[in-house]
Amino acid sequence: MKLINKIGTQLLLIMVILSGCQIEDQIDPNSPDLTAIENANSAQLNNLVIGSLSQMRMELETYMDGVNVIGREIIRHSGSDPRYISDLIMGNLDNNAFYTTRPYAARYRTVKNLNLLIEAVNNSTKVSEESKPDYLAFAKTIMAHELLMVLNQQQSNGIRLDVNNPDNVGPVVGKEEALNAIANMLNEGYEYMKEDVLDDKGNILDLQISLSDGFSGILFKEFNRALAARVAIYRKEYNQALNYLNDSFFTLETSQGGLADGAYFVFSSGSGDITNPLYLEQNNTGEWRLANPDWVTEADPNDLRLDKVSERKEAFFHKESKLSSSYDIWLYQDQLAPIPIIKNEELILIYAEAKIHLEEYTDAINALNIVRTNAGLEAYNGEETNETLIDEMLTQRRYSLFMEGHRWLDMMRYNKLSELGDNVHTAFPTPLVEIGI
Amino acid sequence: MNKKITFLLTITLLFFSISNAVSQDFSISGKVTDENGEGLIGVNVVVKSTGKGTITDIDGNYSLTVPEENNVLEFSFVGYKGQEFTITSSNSSLNITLEEDITSLEEVVVTGLASSIKRSNLANAVSTVSAKDLTGTTSPSTLDGALQGKLTGANIIANSGAPGGGISMKLRGITTITGSSEPLYIVDGVYMDNSAISAGTNPVTQASRGSNITTNQDNPSNRIADLNPDEIENIEILKGASAAAIYGSRANAGVVIITTKKGKNGKTKINFNQDIGYTSILNPLGSREFTVDKVRNLFDLTTEKGIEAANAEVALFQKAQQEGRLIDWEQEMYGNIGLITKSNLSLSGGTEKTKFFISGTLNDEEGIIKNTGYSRKSLRTNIDHKLSNLINFSVNSNYIHSSADRGLTNNDNAGVSYGVALTSTKPWADLFPDEDGNYPNNPYAGSNPIQTRDLSTINETTNRILTGSTVNFHFINTDDTFLKMVLRGGVDYYNNESNVYFPEDLQFMGVMNGFYSRGNNRVINTNASAFLVFNKSINKVDFTSQLGTSRLDFNQDRLTTQATQLIGGQKNLEQASAVSVFNKSLKTIDIGYSFQQEANFADKLILTAGIRLDKSSLNGDPNKLYAFPKISAATNLHNFDFWSVDPISQLKVRLAYGEAGGVPSPHPVNLQQPSFTIFNGTGISGQAGSIIGLVRGNKDIQPERSKEIEAGLDIGFFDNKINLEATYYNKTVEDLILRANVPYSSGFTSRTVNGGALNNKGIEIALSTTPVDISNLKWESRTSFWKNRSKMTRLDVPSFTTGGFSSALGIFRIEEGKSVTQIVGYVGDEEVVIGNAEPDFQMSSFNTLTFFKNIEFTMLWHWKQGGDNINLTKLLSDFGGTTFDYDEDDDNNGIINGDQRKIAYSEGNSADEFIEDATYLKLREIALFYNIPKKVIGSTLSNYISYLKVGVSANNALMFTKYSSYDPEVSNFGNNGISTGVEVTPFPSSRKFFFHLSVGL
Repeated sequence: MKLINKIGTQLLLIMVILSGCQIEDQIDPNSPDLTAIENANSAQLNNLVIGSLSQMRMELETYMDGVNVIGREIIRHSGSDPRYISDLIMGNLDNNAFYTTRPYAARYRTVKNLNLLIEAVNNSTKVSEESKPDYLAFAKTIMAHELLMVLNQQQSNGIRLDVNNPDNVGPVVGKEEALNAIANMLNEGYEYMKEDVLDDKGNILDLQISLSDGFSGILFKEFNRALAARVAIYRKEYNQALNYLNDSFFTLETSQGGLADGAYFVFSSGSGDITNPLYLEQNNTGEWRLANPDWVTEADPNDLRLDKVSERKEAFFHKESKLSSSYDIWLYQDQLAPIPIIKNEELILIYAEAKIHLEEYTDAINALNIVRTNAGLEAYNGEETNETLIDEMLTQRRYSLFMEGHRWLDMMRYNKLSELGDNVHTAFPTPLVEIGI
Repeated sequence: MNKKITFLLTITLLFFSISNAVSQDFSISGKVTDENGEGLIGVNVVVKSTGKGTITDIDGNYSLTVPEENNVLEFSFVGYKGQEFTITSSNSSLNITLEEDITSLEEVVVTGLASSIKRSNLANAVSTVSAKDLTGTTSPSTLDGALQGKLTGANIIANSGAPGGGISMKLRGITTITGSSEPLYIVDGVYMDNSAISAGTNPVTQASRGSNITTNQDNPSNRIADLNPDEIENIEILKGASAAAIYGSRANAGVVIITTKKGKNGKTKINFNQDIGYTSILNPLGSREFTVDKVRNLFDLTTEKGIEAANAEVALFQKAQQEGRLIDWEQEMYGNIGLITKSNLSLSGGTEKTKFFISGTLNDEEGIIKNTGYSRKSLRTNIDHKLSNLINFSVNSNYIHSSADRGLTNNDNAGVSYGVALTSTKPWADLFPDEDGNYPNNPYAGSNPIQTRDLSTINETTNRILTGSTVNFHFINTDDTFLKMVLRGGVDYYNNESNVYFPEDLQFMGVMNGFYSRGNNRVINTNASAFLVFNKSINKVDFTSQLGTSRLDFNQDRLTTQATQLIGGQKNLEQASAVSVFNKSLKTIDIGYSFQQEANFADKLILTAGIRLDKSSLNGDPNKLYAFPKISAATNLHNFDFWSVDPISQLKVRLAYGEAGGVPSPHPVNLQQPSFTIFNGTGISGQAGSIIGLVRGNKDIQPERSKEIEAGLDIGFFDNKINLEATYYNKTVEDLILRANVPYSSGFTSRTVNGGALNNKGIEIALSTTPVDISNLKWESRTSFWKNRSKMTRLDVPSFTTGGFSSALGIFRIEEGKSVTQIVGYVGDEEVVIGNAEPDFQMSSFNTLTFFKNIEFTMLWHWKQGGDNINLTKLLSDFGGTTFDYDEDDDNNGIINGDQRKIAYSEGNSADEFIEDATYLKLREIALFYNIPKKVIGSTLSNYISYLKVGVSANNALMFTKYSSYDPEVSNFGNNGISTGVEVTPFPSSRKFFFHLSVGL
């Protein structure tokens, strides 16, 4: 019995040991969590900057396919998903389908990241006060861009601006108010970097934050002003647009800077990065991204911009919608090709548009001709009336900004959607999850 | 030690001699045999009046001293019907034959953590599947396949027909919305991991779009499939919280307790089984037959360009037709006849002190798609040893090597999976390679599926060790008291490797220039527990108390590295210019305490109460204890003295209540835990960045809690020749963990919350009968019926959709007051209910006919009535113009089916046409076995062979269904909680035929 007692005591001890464990407080084994930025250092703030820049590109293909298909610029078809045609062209838009929800959620995810960046900057005692405005300038500018992307799809349905509290997101505001707020946000961002900071050699210093390669060659504040000019056009504030252009990288001297100068979404095949999601091989089957044949047939045959498409070996046909095309989009010729966020060519056309509205036609035509010449076309020789010049400006935008998400918005701005086709959708539906909140 | 035994024996003998001294005793001896005349070892032979007795020896012989005349001798043995004989002193010898008991009332059921109970005293309907039921009929290669149709109250769905298994099993309805509804698997006390690990094909298939490496749509198998069904002695299934409460916070969805085979005292038995068989597609749909007109109609003939294209296509069609080159792609892709072989060798035996069971199995199976298949090697050693009267222990170890090539099936958004590519591939397509092995591009889809099938590798290989040990210390062991301590420890370790290769010359590899992915997933689960079990009889009341503690440590480390832009022909991660990585780990700790008290009033009334206290690192507060109580009562009315209804030999009324939990489970694919709000890693221009995760965490997250009440009635008629078991249950799951959709404008897409309750009500009826039992024919039959109704009783978050693709394609909507499994979609502009995945009811019938004692014919029928599927295979085939019934006109309205469905979908955004009733009747198993009698074998051979059995069998022999795809049992999203029954070009199900040979030495 002694032995039994001894063993018994030891066994009871085992039971006590087994049960006496206290489980430690848990941290995520795989990723930083919110506590990581409670008092962030500059490396952690930079992570949020890079994360936001990377996120800006997510679902870009879904956004572009959505607006470009509805804008009748392109035909998109997938052998595994009929909805690009059945919904976007023929039927109704679904408020819970990928084309509605995915770009919407992706843009607000960037916005959330930027709100967290702003909060982290404000709470940080580890970064210098002098460096804080750079982060805030960045955050406000990119946030404005992301909100504008949401508004571009939501249009008259409006968008939410105040979304920092996930338990209580702010109200949906109408399109006008949202555009004003976006304009103000850009101005706010600009204020943080308005004053030129010079280095030892007298060169203007850019933000002291490492951005993506897509912003090399321009100053970040110039990017901010370029976006502001785009928003000003949307708000029909033409004088403002011209002012903003002056502070941007806008130039009519195309010898100095090409039309392609600007800010870009950039891609790589590195770890954690993504490749150009709009790239498809020529003559691809299964997934098709094609130019609307009108875009080709209505072009001046000499237009060099026609190299944005390439003729297919076998044409694409879609019986139900009667859509067909023989032209692959060949705008991005490899999977690392950058996608413009905003480029000088657009700024020149914004300039032209503002000038037309201000009835300074000579300046407008001059600007249009820069674009035309660059496309291998002769100088404009049409009438100098507001209406014809608007049409000319829209045509140049159609070819210069092909597949960059502008056509549908442009035609909507000028109430010309009916020219695109029948039953052109006027807005993406408010996502299902946003209804009733 | 010997001394001790001698001492004990002396005491026993002394005991007997004392009783002898006071009565007029006489002795009796004899032999107990089974129906085949084999001696039964270990049969209890007890004198009823005194309760004293003996057990039979190795040859089935016994001898016993009986105190007085007209005494009743009871013979009992687990798995056999007990017998009683009144004996007088004239009976000096009594040989008896025990009949196998198919109703198994005497069988012991392991319900508690360290205790067991006689089935006849159970307060719950615990389903048991014996080795014979499991693998006795046909040869299922994986455990999941072996359970189909055999469990009352279970809804088991094979996710696909891919070799290597993969099922979703739901016991008594849905128990969770976000987690997996899979039960907990415990094999000989070891918690066996049942993860489904993605092979990482998402970057190629884009099944769940985005840049994720892993997805739940690439048809992974669940890892329970590793367990070799041939090694299993029996499976007990605790279906709901009332039975499983003592298993605590991981037992919400039920517990499957698996006991493997053990050696028996006696001569060493050597068994050898050889199965050889083949597999072929179960339900080929056929292909659309084209004519010139139909080809023309693929195009828009109102435009010049359309007519031009139509003419070109017609020329291609006619050329192929003339050359006899119209291919039935279904036959080409799914028409492989796969060879199946399985060899199993087992040794078992032992002595009084040491018993062993050793088994080795080689399994090899080809799939119905070329280059797919499954193989498994399994080695098991189970040893039981009695060290002394104080200590005995058992060790069970199992090594498994399995390898599955499962092909590229299921959903994809890039046109690369075999099925998706075939939906738009026309019979005149030219896909076969030329003499130099060059495959033409498929102009009708994003890939040439023949090329993909022939050149790609999609393999998962697992090496697994499952080992557990139990030590029992019998501190006190007297007639009316025992106290034992049970210590148990177990390890489940495996390494799962995925190996995926798409060479650069595949049609769809133009951009990636070759894709090579290697996954290395390591799982180590350990469990340790200690229990004290105390039993004492006071005044014919038997009290059993149990006190225990246990700890579970589950660790996972998943790593998948993928390379693209490969150097031509190289399968090496270094030979590439672009690499991406998926790397997630998970460590969880659960600690639990349990107490259970049982009181058994002479098998008349059995009362049990217990409580389990659990904490888990997965809960928001890792150190908070959650209590899960249980209480139950069973009364055997036939055991009371007043019982005098002779035809009714058993009447048990039972009632049980219990609660069990479901820990907030990590996301099955990315392992994210619900309590954390995290940043995901991302990068641009070579710099690393952080982006806020999509799921908002919740620090207050608690386990889900199911509360179940179960009431039942077990009736046996005519000496239990007819047995009826009827059960009603009402199970409520509260604190449901929901990944509630949040406004996307918050930056998150969902948040994990405890936010609702659901209810399952159901009935289960099982009837076992022996309709015929005459000298040369015996028919045993077991028929089960079960149904379940689920309902969301409360929802604190806004109604949301889950488990499908979108409202337009049919999706599940979680909505208060509605069925949990309702499917919604558009009809007109309204979103309305267009289906429900829950079956109306299910029935199964298992019949065994034995002719001349040696010929056995078995059939298992399974009928599932109702329950809808979302058949997106049909949708894709319609849009690809290839559906087998495209040209038929079911409703005779002049518009052919394919056009009609497309128009309905395109104009109304409605998937209504693609929601289908998934009723089926399947002959799941059928077999004919011949046990060759010794006289046929011949006397010389008989000396060496104890039995020789041959047979033929079939698995999924017949299927009757109106469902218009390969199999109504299907799940694109694997074993995800709700969304079974969604199909997108799955791996079709197969039918298997076997020839069996079984020899015992």
